[in-house]
Amino acid sequence: MLIINCPYCGPRDQSEFSNGGEAHVKRPDGSKEIGDREWGEYVFIRANPKGLFYERWVHTHGCRKWFNCVRDTSTDKILVTYKLDEKKPNLNNFKSVVKTPSGEPEVGSGNFTVEK
Amino acid sequence: MKSINLKENQFIQFHQKISFKFDGVKYFGYKGDTIASALLRNNINLVGRSFKYHRPRGIYTCGIEEPNALVQIISEYSEPNTRATIKKIYEGMEIESQNRWPSLENDFGSINNLFSPIFSAGFYYKTFMGPHKKFWKNLYEPLIRRAAGLGKPPKDFKGISNHIHHNVDVTIIGGGLNGLLAAKSFINSNYDVLLIEFEEQLGGIINNSNKISLIDNKEPKDWLKETIQEIEESKNVKILKNTLVTTYNYINHLIAIEDRFVGSKPIEGKVNSTLHKIRTDHTILCNGHIERFLSFQNNDLPGIMLSSSFEKYICRYGIAPSKEPVIFSNNSNSNSLVYSLIKAGLKPKAYIDSRSGEKIEPNLFDLIRKNDVPLYTNSQIKGAFGSKKIEKILIEDSSGALNEIKCDQLCLSGGINPDVHLFTQSKGLLDWDEKDLTYKPSKPFQPTITLGSASGQFNFDHLNSDINDKLKNFKIKKLDVKLELNTNAKYNIEKLWEVSPQKKSLWTKSFIDLQNDVTTKDIRQAITEGFDRIEHLKRYTTNSMGTDQGKISSINALGIVSDLLDKKVNEVGTTIYRPPYAPLSFSAIAGRNCYEFYDPERKSPIHNWHLNNGAIFEDVGQWKRPWYFQINKDETMHEAVQRESKNVRENAGILDGSTLGKIEIKGEDALEFMNLIYTNSFTKMKQGSARYALMLGEDGMVKDDGIICKISDQHFIATTTTGGAATVLGCMEEYAQTEWPNLKVFMNSITEQYATFNISGPKTREIMKKAFPDINFSNEEFPFMTFQFHEFNGVPIRILRASFTGELGYEIYIPSNSALKIWEGIQSFGKEFGLAPYGTEAMHLLRAEKGYIIVGQDTDGSITPIDLGLSWMIGKSKKDFLGKRSLTRSDTVREDRKQLVGIVPSNKEDKLEEGQHIILEKEIKSPVPMLGHITSCYHSSTLGHDFALAVIKNGHSMIGTKAYASTSSMSTTGVDIVKPVFYDEDNKRLVS
Repeated sequence: MLIINCPYCGPRDQSEFSNGGEAHVKRPDGSKEIGDREWGEYVFIRANPKGLFYERWVHTHGCRKWFNCVRDTSTDKILVTYKLDEKKPNLNNFKSVVKTPSGEPEVGSGNFTVEK
Repeated sequence: MKSINLKENQFIQFHQKISFKFDGVKYFGYKGDTIASALLRNNINLVGRSFKYHRPRGIYTCGIEEPNALVQIISEYSEPNTRATIKKIYEGMEIESQNRWPSLENDFGSINNLFSPIFSAGFYYKTFMGPHKKFWKNLYEPLIRRAAGLGKPPKDFKGISNHIHHNVDVTIIGGGLNGLLAAKSFINSNYDVLLIEFEEQLGGIINNSNKISLIDNKEPKDWLKETIQEIEESKNVKILKNTLVTTYNYINHLIAIEDRFVGSKPIEGKVNSTLHKIRTDHTILCNGHIERFLSFQNNDLPGIMLSSSFEKYICRYGIAPSKEPVIFSNNSNSNSLVYSLIKAGLKPKAYIDSRSGEKIEPNLFDLIRKNDVPLYTNSQIKGAFGSKKIEKILIEDSSGALNEIKCDQLCLSGGINPDVHLFTQSKGLLDWDEKDLTYKPSKPFQPTITLGSASGQFNFDHLNSDINDKLKNFKIKKLDVKLELNTNAKYNIEKLWEVSPQKKSLWTKSFIDLQNDVTTKDIRQAITEGFDRIEHLKRYTTNSMGTDQGKISSINALGIVSDLLDKKVNEVGTTIYRPPYAPLSFSAIAGRNCYEFYDPERKSPIHNWHLNNGAIFEDVGQWKRPWYFQINKDETMHEAVQRESKNVRENAGILDGSTLGKIEIKGEDALEFMNLIYTNSFTKMKQGSARYALMLGEDGMVKDDGIICKISDQHFIATTTTGGAATVLGCMEEYAQTEWPNLKVFMNSITEQYATFNISGPKTREIMKKAFPDINFSNEEFPFMTFQFHEFNGVPIRILRASFTGELGYEIYIPSNSALKIWEGIQSFGKEFGLAPYGTEAMHLLRAEKGYIIVGQDTDGSITPIDLGLSWMIGKSKKDFLGKRSLTRSDTVREDRKQLVGIVPSNKEDKLEEGQHIILEKEIKSPVPMLGHITSCYHSSTLGHDFALAVIKNGHSMIGTKAYASTSSMSTTGVDIVKPVFYDEDNKRLVS
């Protein structure tokens, strides 16, 4: 169930929140020389895994605070939420169970309401 | 057919007569009746004509699965396709039958039945192909639409519904025996539970049949009363009645629709339905089963009904549609109908069973023998006959002999199916049960539990252990309920999908989908033609594609197909069940998000003044902004815009700029923060001065612009574009929290707190002096890009000297509630100087003449400040700001980037248009390399010709050269590429 546990407000409906992409992406320090590759990766490159993912969310229609979470992108389950200044949890503490999100065959579409 | 009122019934108030009209004739029913039960009480069974063949149709079921008895509710804005079997009657209700003309009895369209041999599956696809495409749209489709179909569209009405959100631990769907038992075990536990029942009463099978004789040694209805009371009194279980769960979404998100006017006419202006959006940890499906029918010749005649529906009419509505129905079954689920009939003092005319004697329970034999009911075992009904209702049936008995029986009612049972719609919507998998001949839930995909017949438990043998086992992970009390049954029946179904007719002709019909008039012949034909995959077959024949989604027949179709293909049913598979479970209205889905609430309109505090002064409005985001002001009805937009802009250049104009985003930034580190957010450097800026600033994305592209006022190093006010206000505030908050949490800074939107008026034009200073006599507006005291706080008649105001038109200008910031007074004051003071309001279009023209950009019009997310020729705005000494590093990326320093230039037609008479491509060749010969396009284009009466802003490749170095603008008619217009400023290049007027 998409109830998101805002670390400041508690469990609230998902419609109050906005997604902010991958978490723990550090903005390069502007006071130092930044290489093209380093900057390019910061601006353009984000991970997109199927499974466990550190993600940023913001309680847009609530306290407007940003926070981090671990979400399983294959089931959409948000496993833990934590404040920005908290340490990121170890992903080994969670397990991603479902191989394909809707239980459909990995190849092809077709009829999968019936167990074969 | 003569129906019998059974006066003993707790659900029907026999003392409360209700009158209603069906096809213009007045009838009476009782409080608690559905349309169907009331019609049956009046011995009416012909209630509509079928979709394609216009065959007479009656009431087939007693619930939401009804395929036939669909009616138009005239008294409710002519609502079509309402199921007569669930809609309750009320005083003065007006109902009409559907798809018949001129009358239900004599329907002209029934001629289709004569032509039916040609209307087989795929008829339309094959027939209406030629001679030309136009024939379909202009001839065939209108004709077919007239002839086929269900109800007529309703009249216009404003349905009102609201939405309620629930967040619970457990949701139990279905308030029948299993649902109640589950709810009961959750009483006083630590779980928040929602129990949802579609009907007005809880109880399900207890109310609808006589299957159960005692529960915990109590009469079932007494037990029911006590249980409901217990649940109602509990603090943690909430009951929703009259609520149908239509959708089981991903992540246990359920959508249910509640009818707020059951048994009464919806009141106009009141909420008539509520959409419940439920988020739950666990879902327990107790939504029972649906009986299926059987296919044989004329199995659609009025007077044929499913047997459990017949029993429901007896038990739940106190009406027996017939005194002596014939029963035809292939399973033991219908045993309780025999019991119910006999208990009500009636008896079946015959009992026909396709099974052999040893499969039939002895207690049914006893009952039948004791009451002298003619019994046919190993027998089948070959066909039903009659003109507008069933008159006789043909039975083939075990010896192959044919018997004809006269009858007025036939009760059918082809077996039962768990109601798996919701389970499959949740992506749970089904498995074919070879013994019970139906698909049953097997693997849930979500935390879904199925109980009772919804899980495929078709008898009560393991009631306690099943519930206790499936709910064992909850910390709740164990269940121990004792059931005693009237008809101790196992299910014992035997395979039977279809009985072939005795004599076949072109007109013989055995239906497989009653609502869409699909026959078993259509299925055979589809398979012959190669549509042997179930999803193809469904679409080719339209089987189970009606509003009932083939609830009583889709499994039969699978059975027939699997036999024809000689495959297992599991190999044939099912079609996919998609939400909603039953039709729901768009108004329910829309809820309150419609009409004026669909998208909120934001209005400036002086909106009404604009309305009264001829403003034509433009939508800018959610804002309504005056586009231009019409001085009389004949003035065209072009005339108005030219007049307004000329007036600004010659006299003065005033623009309502209240919609501009305004953000206040405060805090110890506000200066550092602003330096990081915007490209400009604010460090050396004096207090009380203002600066035009750009905000970039991290990719270096211009995201927004605005004027930043520095009150002190710890206090700034930023303006943003009208459309960008929320994004800019969001971006500031994001960086303040995520990247620079060490900075002590706070920001807040003050857009709606302040109105903004922009006055500009050569005579502005005179007007300002007159309007604000205490303020010195001289160039020395009030230079360009400075601001001052003042008090005017007790109202604190802020005046900023800035301009978006290129003329001398001031922006006045006033608390919104005092805005109108001051606006009107300025209007009257300005009259003698020719001050006139102007709209956004004139503003766009004026700013373009000066080459001022509009973010989002002249930029599109791929334009850097350097492309715009605004390098001077970049604080080069700053170590960091948003997007700084990107300005030296290989892409942003590329030479052939699109850059902002001005365009004027070489021949001043020529017209230009926004969006025109700029090319180098006069002749258009493809491929034509494109340099860029025109982003803004206007006619200027000040310049006397058209002019434009454009972004073109390597534009800055092309200034001074010639090019062409392509037109939509494949010709070109010669243009000069010039600097993007057309008026007062030295800013003399601006700082005068």
